[in-house]
Amino acid sequence: MNTKNRNLIVGGLLIALVIAILAPFLASSNPDGLESTAESLEVPESEPAFESPLPDYAIPGMEDNPWGGVVALIIGTILVLLVTLGLASIFSKKNGNGSE
Amino acid sequence: MHIPDGFIPLWQCAIYWIIALIALGYSLKWARENLDEKNIPLLAVLSAGIFAIQAMNIPIPWGTSGHMVGAALIAIVFFSPWAAVLVLSIVLILQGLIFGDGGMTALGANIVNMGIIGGFIGFYAYKILKGIGRIPAIFIAAWASIFLAAIACAIEMSIAGTFPLVEGVIFMGLYHAVIGVIEGVITVVVILGIDSARPDLLPDWVSSRKSEVLE
Repeated sequence: MNTKNRNLIVGGLLIALVIAILAPFLASSNPDGLESTAESLEVPESEPAFESPLPDYAIPGMEDNPWGGVVALIIGTILVLLVTLGLASIFSKKNGNGSE
Repeated sequence: MHIPDGFIPLWQCAIYWIIALIALGYSLKWARENLDEKNIPLLAVLSAGIFAIQAMNIPIPWGTSGHMVGAALIAIVFFSPWAAVLVLSIVLILQGLIFGDGGMTALGANIVNMGIIGGFIGFYAYKILKGIGRIPAIFIAAWASIFLAAIACAIEMSIAGTFPLVEGVIFMGLYHAVIGVIEGVITVVVILGIDSARPDLLPDWVSSRKSEVLE
């Protein structure tokens, strides 16, 4: 990987991490558009079919602590970066049957 | 507009899953034909940035909030709606699996709305509008991508019997018409940011260098 691409990944990841760190403090906790519509139309809340490890971007047991949210979002941001890098590398021209 | 479990009957969930999986297949085919060492880093950081910014809910009127989705951004920057399907699928799968954001039964529908509809509307709206000028075209394409994804979501909720059609479309449309402004502004800012930092990574149709050459 050349320097330009390394700088892009480091710089881009830093921006994403700053957003991830700020979000638990700055993000509105109001319901989103779909939840608001469901409330207005008196649709009852539903239970998740699957128990996720970090529900609602919080560490279980410290739901009220925004720093738990920061940790959850940092984990998620790095995980999304790594999964995208991995998947894109597997399904890229080099490994694929693309026209090269 | 992440649909939770329980809002769509399972047999309808299965249909959205099938559509999503077929689209994911096409997006991987796109990846094999278009991704290389040069553009993979940008795809990965935009993917991570979209995950993070989707947690940044911005308050809108009526006690509601909304966040960017990012499908139009990816479709425009990577010159393909399939790129948006790929990135939004990764983000939505991890959000559902790890953070319980969007139900796993509704994952197919969420990929259909935010990835496929968002990506295709963003791509083709920009394609049609780019003659009016790059920045307004990006803004409107991004706005339309989330607005029409929300309308599709409302129609699906009506088919599911969860929302009445007219009220569902009015509420979802109204909220996401406002959230679309957030989508439009951030999409423009990010593309201008890439244009100044790494113009070599932008395709001709959204690059400022190219339009200067043409003019």
